[in-house]
Order: sequence, then structure tokens, then C-alpha cells
Amino acid sequence: MLNVLIWFPCIAAVIVALLPQAIAAHRVRFISLCLSAVTLLWTLWLVSQFDLSNPTFQFRESLPWLPYLGLNYELGVDGLSLPLLGLNSLLTWIAIYSSRVDTERSRLFYSLILLISGGVAGAFLAQNLLLFFLFYEVELIPFYLLISVWGGTQQGSAATKFLLYTATSGGLILAGFLGIIWFSDTTSFTYEALLGQTLPLNIQYVLLILLLLGFGIKTPLVPLHTWLPETYVAASTPVAILLGGVLAKLGTYGIFRFCMVLFPEAWAQVSPGLATWAVVSVLYGALAAIAQKDIKRMVAYSSVGHMGYVLLAAAARTELSFVGAISQMFAHGLILALLFHLVGLIEAKAGTRDLEVLNGLMNPIRGLPLVSALLVLGGMASAGIPGLVGFIAEFLVFQGSYATFPIQTLISVVGTGLTAVYFVILLNRTCFGKLDNDLAYFPKVNWSERIPALILVTLIVVLGLQPAWLVRWSEPTTSALMAAAQELTPMPRLFTAKVLSHQSPPLLSVLEDSPST
Amino acid sequence: MFEFLAHSAWLIPCYPLVGMVVSLLWTPSIIRRTGPRPAGYVNLVMTLTAFLHGLGSFPSVWNHPPQYLSIPWLEVAGLDLTIPLEISATTIGVGLVVTGLNFLAQLYAIGYLEMDWGWARFFSLLALFETGMCALALCNSLFFSYIILEILTLATYLIVGTWFNQSLVVTGARDAFLTKRIGDLFLLMGVLAIFPLAGTWDYRELGIWAQTAQVDPTVITLLGLSLIAGPMGKCAQFPLHLWLDEAMEGPMPGTVLRNSVVVSTGAWILIKLAPVLALSPLTLTVMIGIGGVTAIGGTLIAIAQIDVKRALSYSASVYMGLIFIAVGTQQQEAALLLMLTYALAMALLIMSTGSVVLNAITQDLTQLGGLWSRRPITGLSYLVGAAGLIAFPALGGFWALLKLADGLWSTQPALVGVVLLVNTLTGFSVTREFSLIFAGKPQQMTVRSPENLWLVTLPSTILAGATLHLPLLLQRLALLPHWSDLNHTLALLLSGSSLIGCGASAWIYMGDRIPKPVRIPWAPLQNFFALDMYTPTLYRSSVVLGVDWISRLTDWFDRNIVDGLVNLIGQFSILSGESLKYGNVGQTQFYLFTIVSGVFVITAFLVWPLISPLLGSLF
Repeated sequence: MLNVLIWFPCIAAVIVALLPQAIAAHRVRFISLCLSAVTLLWTLWLVSQFDLSNPTFQFRESLPWLPYLGLNYELGVDGLSLPLLGLNSLLTWIAIYSSRVDTERSRLFYSLILLISGGVAGAFLAQNLLLFFLFYEVELIPFYLLISVWGGTQQGSAATKFLLYTATSGGLILAGFLGIIWFSDTTSFTYEALLGQTLPLNIQYVLLILLLLGFGIKTPLVPLHTWLPETYVAASTPVAILLGGVLAKLGTYGIFRFCMVLFPEAWAQVSPGLATWAVVSVLYGALAAIAQKDIKRMVAYSSVGHMGYVLLAAAARTELSFVGAISQMFAHGLILALLFHLVGLIEAKAGTRDLEVLNGLMNPIRGLPLVSALLVLGGMASAGIPGLVGFIAEFLVFQGSYATFPIQTLISVVGTGLTAVYFVILLNRTCFGKLDNDLAYFPKVNWSERIPALILVTLIVVLGLQPAWLVRWSEPTTSALMAAAQELTPMPRLFTAKVLSHQSPPLLSVLEDSPST
Repeated sequence: MFEFLAHSAWLIPCYPLVGMVVSLLWTPSIIRRTGPRPAGYVNLVMTLTAFLHGLGSFPSVWNHPPQYLSIPWLEVAGLDLTIPLEISATTIGVGLVVTGLNFLAQLYAIGYLEMDWGWARFFSLLALFETGMCALALCNSLFFSYIILEILTLATYLIVGTWFNQSLVVTGARDAFLTKRIGDLFLLMGVLAIFPLAGTWDYRELGIWAQTAQVDPTVITLLGLSLIAGPMGKCAQFPLHLWLDEAMEGPMPGTVLRNSVVVSTGAWILIKLAPVLALSPLTLTVMIGIGGVTAIGGTLIAIAQIDVKRALSYSASVYMGLIFIAVGTQQQEAALLLMLTYALAMALLIMSTGSVVLNAITQDLTQLGGLWSRRPITGLSYLVGAAGLIAFPALGGFWALLKLADGLWSTQPALVGVVLLVNTLTGFSVTREFSLIFAGKPQQMTVRSPENLWLVTLPSTILAGATLHLPLLLQRLALLPHWSDLNHTLALLLSGSSLIGCGASAWIYMGDRIPKPVRIPWAPLQNFFALDMYTPTLYRSSVVLGVDWISRLTDWFDRNIVDGLVNLIGQFSILSGESLKYGNVGQTQFYLFTIVSGVFVITAFLVWPLISPLLGSLF
């Protein structure tokens, strides 16, 4: 069942690549859209079959591949990967939908996108460290081509930078994985076989840092982020959606799946540092975004800040923060995709992304009223206004992390304030203000351009009002994982929450330091 | 029947929500076909439904203990987020005031915005405010109150930005959003911090917790301060008061609601949180201090304004300051009564001045005058509003201020002085506005100024009636003190202070005894108040400048240090690659080289476990 998620997009990519020359670009786009819709439907079917009472891996597949290397084809899905798989299938479809109708060399373009979809699904599904690594690396080449061939300004240097950074990330991760095998007494890279392993603490530190740096580049975390603004800005809209919406999630996914779970003792020791690192990322991303003059760059920097919340949640390692982090990954994927889509539309219609030039797009007659309205919504979702999906994710992260790292959490709250600052700057300059009548001869926005945005907005609002539909998928897995982790190494807690029971109203709050290991 | 209506009181916020969603359908393409008006009518009908529902359920909640309902929302990882609702006389009463004022304001807006095209946007935002405030009244949880306040912050941004192509509107909307957001974020910090301590966000359970809570004094003080920061932003208290003044750039019907009930949302949270705030004496002192500074400073600033909307906006801050004092001295009932009487009177003041502004096309007090004979209905409405606001005997404001001052009488006599002073100055301020608008000789802008369309005039007339009848209603509900329990000295003092304020102002501003515009001898003092104690400048040179600088610095650091370092390494490696390429090959080959070498390294790693045992057996 899970094979379909990986291999169907790959087969689809081959089909699209082999389509006859005579077929026009918009037909190729339509065919790819249908093919990726099949993947999306398959994902939805999987979701409907997902057993919520089972916290472990489901729908397992296992095939021996190169057993002497410990490399086996092992797949499985749990509450951590399921939402991200859904996000991947959805955003691939949205990305294809938001691509230009007249894309050049369309067969190659769409087949690369489909290939990426299969590869990312493979990485989320892989239950073998080497298999994960292979899928993790295989995205690199299609993305490199997508950026360098179909990118905008300075696509060459951006693509190279992306390639170098991500290759480094891959190298670090591989080194970390090999180290795990090297120092533990297994020869298999099977994920579950490694769960019970306990390595000496100093080796855990080294390996954890290798992996953190590797995944930190992909996420990205400050100061490993400088590939991000250039790459996101140079990439075309669909590629930016995939980069920010899906690819970045591989980094945070890796942090949770491997760093946090495989090195519980070392994690408990380094987590205060990580929380501080997260706060630096949050503030740095937001402050850098405030100074940007290019709206796409601004949105790109917003991503740095938002990924910081995920790291904070990972550092805090409570059940609530874990659920919050998964929700945040999903929410951020939706919101970032929406923002990139709208920014792409504005660039296509108004011809510029410059904050100093754009003005008054909210104008109902000559401007882009619907795009502006949706941009307000997207920006506010990103700034964490309640009622939209970004809020509940951030709130769960904050409430979950507060128990472990109150100071860092409160400073991160300031980060959401700064997020509001740059989105207000963005909205005030682009949507509000007076439209220059001499310049405002914008092409019409047609329905096919609005639909991806409307789908994303609907999801953002519906999941914001009814977050239970989002968090329920990950809850069993997170509680099981956290229970296991707490048993092994309890995190130092500053606060012990006592839940008020109706029978015994009086209660005392306790400010205590529980014994740390 | 009444019982059923009371049980289904949770529907009250839903009606305007439906109105909001429906009116959002009026996109520009539909407006071209039907015009924008249906969007407004839908909301008017939904608001009336909500009001009638509230009215119908009132008899069955009056003199009954509150009912508590709960709506499940989210339960995750041990965190139970159920929406608790309180259906009681107070909450339904607040709902009635909100929906009633909304109905009048929407009727007013139909007349006021007759020529505007942005009805769908504007009315849906009015409906959003109505939904938010009704939900806030019913909801009994700090967490959900925070959610509602934050959504209303966004709504403020959008409603102030209704006429977004004017630059002052854009900055006003921005400042309103960011100032309120600062308060909200502190409130969020409080929301986050209180949960591990109390284990609940339910106001009722928080109250029970607060009775026995033993918390570290520093923690509870910080918590209390963060919890009052949210209401400070909402209630436009010093130093977060700036936004309300700038928000006056928005349309007048929105101002009616904002100045009368929206600002009170913060006060409502404060009243609900009073037991928790009482845990920290310092928090209470800070509340009284902030309230006092805002109340006295605000009236002085209001007197120095020449823009009538801005003058009234400062008066809003002033009354919210009095509510801060009331909650700071633990007089929740006085605070609630003041909120009620204030809401009606302030809405009436804004409606009547708005009616003048609409066809005099100016809100500059120095350009108005002599309208009494031309606009008697508006003039009377204004007078009723002014009398209802200040301590004018027998009207609402009198009873509310009397209750407040009576509570302070024995414990905090200095604060009674503050209340009296504020009342005097407010009397001065509203009489000054009245004199400058209605008394004197007509000026160029007011020569032709007839009464407006009934849609504008009727709501203010109805509201004037409501303001006049409010004391009777309060007496029926037994909310007014008996004559024998009355603190006669205080009643006389209050009436006297109103008389002094109004009399002095009338003496100065009516007639030509003193040349207009009035200048006080020492100009810097006048400028100090006219320019809002230089708060805008202070903000620009501190917070705004600071964030601007830090963000530029971060950007510079990012481009030159972080990225520069990376580029340096990159260049170094490209140079070394170049030497391999003997100079004349294109860059692509270098990338290919990188990839190939990478693949080679990876393969080497992959086969390592295979050959390592071999090597091991060799040595």
C-alpha cells in the first residue's frame, strides 16, 4: 500500500517525461495534475485506513535489498509521518496546479516534480536509516535542476548554493548514521532495531551534533540558513511551495525521528542549548524578515522563524509540544504554500515584488481584491491569529514547551509579535494604500489561479476552527513516544501541572525541580 | 419558551456570524449586479434576531443562578480545551447591550455610508465584532477570551483600514494592530503561565483556585502584570493608548462601537480575572496607577484636542481608566455598572457628533459652531449623551460614579478625589465640545447643515431615549441604591463637580468672552496635551526606532557576516575546483564533479561495513 506513494509518482514521472513532443504544455500540466491527484486520493484512502489506536508503525512493507549492508526496503507509517505524507501529496498537487500554464520544457518540469513527490514520500516512510538517507539525497538533483532551469534571477548561484548546502547536510547525516551502526552492536540499519540501543554518552553527543547540523541545514536553523532566502527567491512558485512546504519538513522530521528518539540521554542534556538555539532562530528570522524589501524574501525569512518553534518543541520534549510541533509543521506547510502562491500571483500580475513599488492592491476595481484578501488571511495565519491553523499549532508548542523551558518559550512569544510586525508591513505596503492608476493595468486573475489559494485557505480556516481533525492523527504516536522517552530519561520540569478535578477544588501549585538524571 | 431561549443562548453570537459569512459573499463581481446594500441588510436582520433572542431569554435568567454549559472543542495530550459558557443575567445583559448598540450602529451605518462601496467588508467586520463581543460575554474561559480578543485585534486592523487608500488610515490601522498585539502577547504569556499553576482557564475555577492559592509572590506579580497588559491595550490605557486616537481615521459607525463597547472588552476580562489579580497587591496598585494616570491625563488631552472624534476617543480612555481603578480596588459591580452607563452615553455622543461631521464635512472643532438652531435633535442627543456620561444627577453616569466613589470613600479617599477631578474635567471637556459645535455663530462649514437622513438621526434619538430610561430600568432591576442608603455628601460633591466643570467650560466657550481658539498662557503646556504628551514621538524614537535598527542590523549581519562567511568558503572551494579544471571549462562541470565525488564518497561509506570485516580478518 505504501509502495504506491513512492512508486506511483515515479512511474507517473516517467509517463509524463515520455509524452510525445506534440502535446501542448497545458495538457502536460493537466495530465500531471491528474496523476498527482491519484496519489493524493491514495493518501486520503490510507489516512482513512489508519488505525488511531495503534501508536506504532502501520502498513509495514519489508523486502531484503542489500542485507550485507543492513540496507533493507522497509516502510511504515505512524502518527509522526502521516500528517507530513498528507502534506506532501497535497502540496505536490497544489504546486502543479499553481505552475504556469505555459511552462517551458513542461514534460521535464512536471516529471521532476512528480519524482520529488515520490522521493519525499519515501523519506517519510523509510524505516531503515540508509533507505531514508537515499530518499533524502535523491531529491537533491531534481530540485537543483528545477531551480537552475526554471528559476528567476540569479538562479545559477542559488541552485549551486542549495546543492552544496544540501549535499553537506546529506554528508553529515550519513556520517551520523554510519556512526550509530559503527558504535552500536548491530549491523542492520533497521530503525526499530536501533531503538533499544544505548550508546556511551560522549558518542551520543558527537553523533547527535552531526545529525543536528545535517538536519539543521535542511530545516533550516540559523546560522545554517543562508541558502534559504536565495533559493526560495530564485525558485519559481511551484518549486518554492515544495521547497518551503515539504522539503524543509524533512529536516524537522529528521530531528524528531532520529535525533530525539535515538539519543534520549544526550538529548536531555543538550536540550536547554537547543531551546536557546530555537529562540535565536525565531527572533533572527523575524528580525531579518522585517528589514526585507522583497515580499518573497520576507516570506522566505518567515520560514526560518517558524521552524524555530518546531525546534523549541523538540527541545522541550513533552507530549503536548510534540503534538504541537507536528501540527506546526503541517500548518506551516499550508500557510507557506499559500503565501508563496499569492506572492507568485502578485509578481505575475503586478510585475514586481518590491515593497517600495507595490501599493493599493486591495482596490476592488483595478487591483487584485481577492488575492489581497487571501494575503491578509495568509499573513495573519502566519502571525498566529487565532481561528486559523497557525495559532493552535503555535499555542500547543508554547503550552507544551512552557513546562520545560518557560523563559525560552516566553521569548518565542515575542517572536510571534515580530512576525505580526513584518506581515503588517507587508500588508500595509502591498494591499493598503493608493493604487497608482497609471500602472494598474493588471491582467485578470482567472479561476484556475485562485483555486489553489482557495483550497489552502479553506484548509487553514477549517483546521483552525476544528484543530481536533489535525491533532488526532499524531496523538497516539506522540504519547507512546513520550512515555518511552520519559521512562528512560525524565526531562527536568520546572512546573508540575495539577489538573483541577471537580471533586476536590482546592489545590496547590508546586514550583519544584524534579530530579534530573 | 423563555427557558428554551436561555438554554440556546449560545446561538446569540452565531446569528451575527452567519450575517458575516453571508455578507462576505458580496465580492466586487456580485456588487456589480446587486449593489453593495444587501450585505448591510442581511447583517441588520441577523443583529435584530440576536437582540430579540437575548431579550426573550432575559426573564428566565434574571434572579436565577447562572447556568453553565460546555462545548467540546479540542482534547489533546491531556490538555482539555472545552468551551465553557456562562448564561447569567450579567452575560445576557452584556449581550443585549452589544447587540442593541450594534443594531443601532448598523442602522446608522446604512445612512452614514450611503455612498460607500465597501459595505460587504465593513458590515462583515461589524458583524465580526458583534460575534466576538457576544461570545466574549458568554465564554467563561481565559483561554477562549484570549482567542476572541486576538481575533478582534485583527478585526480592528481591518475596520480601521476600511478606507485604506488614505495614508493616515494605513498608519492608524497599523498602530492599532501592533499596539493591541503587544498587549495580547503579554496576555498570551499570562495565559501560558497561569495554566501550570492553576490547572484551569475557567474563570469560575480560577476564582476558586485564587482563594487558596499559595504562589511565589514574584511569580504571581509577574503573572498579574502580564494579565493586565492585554486589557491595557484593549482599553487604550497609558502607555498603550495611542492606537485609539489614530483609529479615529476609520468610519464613524465603527467608531460608535469601538468607543462604546469594543474598548470595554478589556475591562470585561479584567473584571472576570479580578480574583486572580487580587492575589498580587502590586498588580492592583499598578492598575490603580495606570487607571489614574490615564483618567486624569486623558481628560486633559481631550480638552486640548481640536478634532472632535479624537477628543471623544480620549474620553473613552478616561472612563476605561476609571474601570481600571474600580477593578484595582476590587469593585467589580461598580465597574460593570460604569461599563453599562458609559457604553450607552458614549455611543450617543459619537452618533450625534458623527451626524454633524457627516454633512459639515469637517471634524475640526474650530470650524464648527452655531448649530443649535439648525440641528436641535442632534444637539439634544448630544446633551443627553453628555449628561449620561458625567455625574449628572439621576442619569446613569451619576449612579455608576456614585457607586464607585462610595466604595472608595472609606478606604481610599485620595481616589475619590481622582474621580471627582476626572468628572469635573470630563464635564468641562464635553461642554467645551457642545459649545464649540452648537453654540456661537455659524461658520462657513456649518451654514448649511440640516438634520440628516432618518437613518442617521433615528438611531441617535432611540439611543437618547434609552440613555434617559436607563436609570428607570436599573431601578426596576433593583440595581440602584435606596435613597436612605445614599451617601448624600458624595452625591452632592459629584453633582457639584459636574456643575463646576460644565459651568466653567460654558463660561469660557459659550459667547465671546474669551477669544477663540482658547490659548492658555503657557504654550508648551498646551502643546504637551494637544500632542498627546508627545507619546507618538516617544514611540517613534524608542520602540519603533529600536526594532527598525535591530532588524537592519540583523539583515546586514545576515548578508555580510553569515552569508559572507559561507560565500568565502564557497569561493575557496570553487577556486580549488577551478585549478582542477585547468581554467577553460564551464562551471557546470565543476558541479558535476562535486556530485560525482559526493556519490563516490557515499559509495565508499556504503561498502565500508562490507569491507571492514574483511580488513579486520586481514589484520
